Amino acid sequence: MEVLGSLFNVALLVATIRTTTPILLVALGGSFTTKAGIFNIGLEGQMLIAAFFAVIGSIYTGSSVGGLVIGVAAALVFALVYAVLVVSFRANEVVVGLALNILAGGMTISLMKAIFGTRGSIVGRGIVGLPKVQVPGARDLLGFNAAQLISGYTPLVYVAFLAVPAMLLIYGRTRLGLYIRVVGEKPEAAEALGISIARVRYTASLLCGLMAGLAGAHMSLGYITMFTENMSAGRGFMAVAILIFSAGDPLKVLAGCLLFGFADALSLRLQTFGFPSYLVLAVPYAVALVALFALSWRARPKTIRETLETMRRALSVSPERESSSTRS
Amino acid sequence: MKTLPLPSGLLRTLAGQALAFVIALALGAVIILMIDESPVAVFMTLMRGAFGDAEKIAGTLLQTTPILICGIAACIGLRGGMFNVGIEGQLFLGGFAAAWVGFAFSLPPVLHVLVAMLLAVVAGAAWVAIPAFFRVRFGTNEVVSTILANYIATLLTSYFTIFLFKRPGGWSETPPILESAYLPELFSFSRLNIGLLIGIALAIATALFFRWTAKGYAVTMVGSAPKFAEYGGINVRKVGFGVLLVSGAVGGLAGGVETLGVHHRFMEGFAPGFGFDGVIAALLANGSPIGTIFTALFFGALRAGSLLLEVDTTASREIITVIQALIILAVSADLLMRRRGDRTGERRWKF
Repeated sequence: MEVLGSLFNVALLVATIRTTTPILLVALGGSFTTKAGIFNIGLEGQMLIAAFFAVIGSIYTGSSVGGLVIGVAAALVFALVYAVLVVSFRANEVVVGLALNILAGGMTISLMKAIFGTRGSIVGRGIVGLPKVQVPGARDLLGFNAAQLISGYTPLVYVAFLAVPAMLLIYGRTRLGLYIRVVGEKPEAAEALGISIARVRYTASLLCGLMAGLAGAHMSLGYITMFTENMSAGRGFMAVAILIFSAGDPLKVLAGCLLFGFADALSLRLQTFGFPSYLVLAVPYAVALVALFALSWRARPKTIRETLETMRRALSVSPERESSSTRS
Repeated sequence: MKTLPLPSGLLRTLAGQALAFVIALALGAVIILMIDESPVAVFMTLMRGAFGDAEKIAGTLLQTTPILICGIAACIGLRGGMFNVGIEGQLFLGGFAAAWVGFAFSLPPVLHVLVAMLLAVVAGAAWVAIPAFFRVRFGTNEVVSTILANYIATLLTSYFTIFLFKRPGGWSETPPILESAYLPELFSFSRLNIGLLIGIALAIATALFFRWTAKGYAVTMVGSAPKFAEYGGINVRKVGFGVLLVSGAVGGLAGGVETLGVHHRFMEGFAPGFGFDGVIAALLANGSPIGTIFTALFFGALRAGSLLLEVDTTASREIITVIQALIILAVSADLLMRRRGDRTGERRWKF
């Protein structure tokens, strides 16, 4: 019990919120492309390149905001390349995504060697991390323990969690959101309405790059201020797994990300309890995989889903047609 | 003289690939300039490192072997419409399984190799079985599930190596395998072994299978036109499952060859990136096993050359990863092929 008590406490919740942030940011970014009908497997690379350039930018400009801007710019460049190849050249989205991931991995290591003359990681050297935001009055109102839960994070943590309702609004209430959904669900209808599919998909891809860039910057300038080779460590792929079973819905994305954030935080915690680190490190990936499998019935081909829905509607309207329209 | 009716599609494809290559190399040169190196010097060093003398050529072929076998694994998947990106994980598990048979059992020479290879193949197939099942049963995207499985495979084999089977002493590696499980070497001056011949034989066999057998045709149809295949009475799910299993088995075989032929033990970070290189080689060859021999040789040469690159210049060997990625991107854009409206008939994996 004592072990459980020291394992599950406020600190674990705080750690969960921290570890959820990068994956939430990148998954919300991917939500734009998913909704627009692009299967974007290049999130990992966009995150990694942003993490690297955020560190570079932070060193050269001497400010964390400078780092953030340059990191996001790098991710946007990758997102633009992705969009040009996938939308304009109609290249295979999986191939392009994987190639961009490989490119990000190779480029960050090559540039690290060229600029810093080292391999492995960049630590110190004047990297400025993001500041921590203290919510005024939180400690007086809620007491120390509860205040920890809402105060003292980097700004991107708040951005990530506030982005969830913001994106619900975008999808539900704005023209852009409507266009993105139409282009993703019924491209023919979008075309018939005179919506430029290419322009909407470019926009979605760039919005995705923006969010992935923030996620990357949070990784290298957030709680640890360093860059390590391949530091995104599959988080982009976990985000893709979440996107597959959430279909890009912001609330479901949030739920999935909290699950992975929790698995991540728990695995970090378990390591300090003497469990073999290799197995513990595999926990988040295993959780992602199991969740993907368990929820994969949601990913049934859209045509089947639509057929079933149409049938259900037909059935509810005119029950006498039941016998003719049911199929196995 | 009238011009012969050339297969203009093929010609255009080849011209497109060539143009893509040139563009990719130009971009690569720009990146090399960005890191303050001369592209010509880097290119010459790469060539010298890959083909400088007999030993270097053997080194290139040594690097080619796992890429080739992984590439064939990817080809088999691609032809059946399955994107097996988990070859890296299958390679690691296969490599570990072969090493375990190699050091834990004492068997007569040829039998020992066969048993170790068999277990490697089984391990590779077993590792892909669950993602394969969910792919064909529920349509779970196999790209993501196999990528996630890669991370688990790497950590799991590291756990086996370090916590369960660590060789007494400093290194994080298993005990060496017995000599009876060594793959025969081809030359006295290199670790190059018959694994290369296995790979080439496998490529030819796969190509013949797809070209001449009814089963091979069925697999290709499942990959390119599943509805047509189903109409023709083929059980698409069963074929898809089989394709992924065989692809995983070949991935496991690659691991076995690497363990028994090169390292003679399993260690952490064994064969880094060969699985991914294999996938890229197969993509670049557009799913053709014979073409994969050449693309794998090209990537093997890049890898071998990059070792010298790291010694002779300040550039990192990962610069070749950048070049590989640029080539794939340029080829995927398929510059000369003007695609028209119809996207539904396009093969999933095709550029």
